[in-house]
Amino acid sequence: MSSFLTHHRRRILVTMAFLSLFMAGLCGQLGYLMIFRSEHYSTMADDLHERERTIKAARGEIVDRNGTVIASNRTVCTVSVVHNQVEEPEAVIRMLSGELELPEAEVRKKVEKRSSREIIKTNVDKADGDRIRSHGFAGVKVDEDYKRYYPYDSLASRVLGFTGADNQGIIGLEVMYEKYLKGRDGKILTLSDAKGVEVENAAEERLEPVAGNTLTVSLDVNIQKYAEQAAYQVMERKGARAVSVIVMNPQNGEIYAMVNAPEFHLNAPFSLAEGDGAASGKEKQDLLNAMWRNRCINDTYEPGSTFKIITAAAGLEAGVVSLEDRFSCPGFRIVEDRKIRCHKVGGHGGETFLQGAMNSCNPVFIDVGQRLGAERFYDYFQQFGLLGKTGIDLPGEAATIMHKKENMGLVELATVSFGQSFQITPIQLVTTASSIINGGNRITPHFAIKAESRDGSLVREFTYPVRENVVSEETSRTMRHILEQVVAEGSGKRAKVDGFRIGGKTATSEKLPRSRKKYISSFLGFAPADDPQVIALITIDEPVGIYYGGTIAAPVIADIFENILPYLGLLPGNET
Amino acid sequence: MREQSVNDRRRAGHPEQRGRTEASRPQPQPKKKKPRRFYDYSLLFTIIFLTVFGLVMIYSSSSYNAQVLGQGPAYYMKRQGYIALAGFAAMLVISKMDYHFFAKFTVPAIVVSYICMFLVNFTSLGIKVNGQKRWLGTRSVRFQPTELVKVTVILVLAVVITRLGKKIDEWRSWGMLIVLIAPLALMVMANNLSSGLIIVGIGFVMMFIACKKKWIFILSMALGAAVFIFAPMIAMGLEKAGILESYQLSRILVWKNPEAYPRDGGYQVLQGLYAIGSGGLLGKGLGQSIQKLSFLPEPQNDMIFAIICEELGLFGAISVILIFLFMIYRFMLIAGNAPDLFGALLVVGVMAHIAIQVILNIAVVTNVIPNTGITLPFISYGGTSVLFLMVEMGMALSVSNQIKLER
Repeated sequence: MSSFLTHHRRRILVTMAFLSLFMAGLCGQLGYLMIFRSEHYSTMADDLHERERTIKAARGEIVDRNGTVIASNRTVCTVSVVHNQVEEPEAVIRMLSGELELPEAEVRKKVEKRSSREIIKTNVDKADGDRIRSHGFAGVKVDEDYKRYYPYDSLASRVLGFTGADNQGIIGLEVMYEKYLKGRDGKILTLSDAKGVEVENAAEERLEPVAGNTLTVSLDVNIQKYAEQAAYQVMERKGARAVSVIVMNPQNGEIYAMVNAPEFHLNAPFSLAEGDGAASGKEKQDLLNAMWRNRCINDTYEPGSTFKIITAAAGLEAGVVSLEDRFSCPGFRIVEDRKIRCHKVGGHGGETFLQGAMNSCNPVFIDVGQRLGAERFYDYFQQFGLLGKTGIDLPGEAATIMHKKENMGLVELATVSFGQSFQITPIQLVTTASSIINGGNRITPHFAIKAESRDGSLVREFTYPVRENVVSEETSRTMRHILEQVVAEGSGKRAKVDGFRIGGKTATSEKLPRSRKKYISSFLGFAPADDPQVIALITIDEPVGIYYGGTIAAPVIADIFENILPYLGLLPGNET
Repeated sequence: MREQSVNDRRRAGHPEQRGRTEASRPQPQPKKKKPRRFYDYSLLFTIIFLTVFGLVMIYSSSSYNAQVLGQGPAYYMKRQGYIALAGFAAMLVISKMDYHFFAKFTVPAIVVSYICMFLVNFTSLGIKVNGQKRWLGTRSVRFQPTELVKVTVILVLAVVITRLGKKIDEWRSWGMLIVLIAPLALMVMANNLSSGLIIVGIGFVMMFIACKKKWIFILSMALGAAVFIFAPMIAMGLEKAGILESYQLSRILVWKNPEAYPRDGGYQVLQGLYAIGSGGLLGKGLGQSIQKLSFLPEPQNDMIFAIICEELGLFGAISVILIFLFMIYRFMLIAGNAPDLFGALLVVGVMAHIAIQVILNIAVVTNVIPNTGITLPFISYGGTSVLFLMVEMGMALSVSNQIKLER
């Protein structure tokens, strides 16, 4: 009896201990699997279960200020196979590789892959999709969805941007307003098991897609078209590399047109221009990125004489110069040890400040800059909002490249005064000029006006910051007067439009390195001069032959204004 | 007195012992007060809980597959439920009998077991399901004789060890036991390696408790651990030597890295791991398993624990293990307090059976050991299994019922 009690009981206890140990070990293994490996296995499982088919939501349209649709959707198809439902794999492979013009090996790999659903090709034309469907092979699914479509193809290509294979925005407004445009994809949840059998009387759940919002932008298709046409003409005539035009409302910052000629084709954004055909993968990507650049906002340049608007405004605002102040121009100015030339080699002789501005005389503006001094000049840059970014609603805006305040010696000060030795973006120049001539309101240039849901209810009205009194009303009025005189009788006289009061400033900037003798001709104009409703900047990159801004750029703006001013409801007066 | 063999004592006819056999019978010696007897209600309720929980899980995991086969969603649950109910009734009846009475069935049980295994292996009465001949009977009425063999082995060993008394420590007795049991175990192993292992395991545990020998057990444990750890190397060596077939080697390789064989041998294990892994801490909720939608083949069977993990999470899974551990603890208590060695050994056999099967099942599901078909007691679907489990539970409860509370 005692032997049963002691020996057997002890052994039973030992057995129990061993069993508990084993079970504890298994609990440990379970914990490892379910905590540390949980993510690993659940993603693998989800991948396996990924049987639900998404119904792509229609991406929101982009419409211009008049409601003209400039980015829309086209129905396309996604072709996929459900491995377990395919009955005649060989025939399916042959049919798919034939209809979709894909290599047979690639199709075979996808058809034979044991997955719940394998996508063969997306963005298939509806006609092709219908044909594939009509073959009626088991296990081949053709789902309709949407592809972005741009009715005007190349119109404002770099502004609008385009979408990728998954209909996500890649550049421009498409990426900036992705959140509003995207919509929410729907889902068809078919209850089907590993064998691919769709179970009867199991409810098919359907989650309806929600279309993206309609985005109204400030662009005006007609103005954009006209500006593009003008840009292409001058580009061709002058053999220029590129021409950019910005047309904006200087009162509120709404951009009517933004041209970057040559534009690219939004419906085929991945095909390079001719001649760039045989490029390797990386080279091709670089070329594509170059092609997609929006020079108005992504690239900086030396603004040249158009920058004199800022120098003049700073001088007037600080009271260091008035219209009647007299200057003399011997054709150069010596600053420290440098001799800085005026564009007129013989010099302009004696002239008032107004005349100096009309002549675009460098020594006059060097003097104004020197009177201001680096410190004060720099403070005005800050006040005008010139040093940062404009905050335009497009991705990738470049910031101003300016000397540091402490590095700004007299020579730098002198060159900055007439727009050299630093770089800004065209949009920054237009925006700063706008705030100087519109009464002193630093506006934010922008495109988006409002987002509405498909049924027309307002989702969001976009508002943009405005900083008031960056210059006084008086300085603003004086500046408008000066710039009107520049066009009326000065260097910008080719920008004159009969019946309208136009203000403006020409510029010819020599590109770096100076030895290349390449130029950017530009003209910044606005109208009407007494109450600016539209401001425009054209930059002509590397024109061949005559390159003076006043000669080649000003007439283009005149041409554009002549057409768009009446269109904007501004009637010609008889003041001139 | 406990060292006496069962039959000796029965012949001696101790009045107290006989008196306890059936409660309703009038006491032959009325001057002694009828002792209060123990009945392990904790065990009883654990059994009820596990069985009902099993039914819930079977419903959850099989309703989808049942519908695919054109049956009602509760098809599997109902079948299991009826058998469990019948088994439960049988268990209650058995638990009220004196367990010494079971000893009478030793010879018939062993004979029937041999006949059944013979029929399954060598005649057309054996039915193949999923490529393995494990069933006896016709398509509609059939059962798995291996379950009977497990009970038989427990009974036979308990009887024989009790009879041998101290002689159990002699090698001669070991030889006799091997002659008695080994052919049966081998016949089981021929078609069902895992059940064979369980039978060997039950024998191992019962012998360990009965014998005074120590080293032989420690040695075999160490050997088992070594085989487990060096399995791939051993398997590769054996394959090169031509002893192991390549398909057997592949099983080992699949076990070591199931993700490398997602289509072939690794499919079931991998699907089980997906289910376990996607459960996380708290699980997806009862009925929310996706893996049961026939990604995991026959989820109501061997792999039901994976579905428990997926639906009830780590907490649910560990709770289930704890309940089994509690059950084993109850067996330990009953065995430790059993009136005699025969009772103790019966309960130890049952305990070994349940514990080994639970451990092996969970080890397979969590890929700790190579895949082999072992059901989870009380929870997995299987009529024969639940019926014989109930019989075993009846035996354990019957032993518990013979424990005197007051002396």
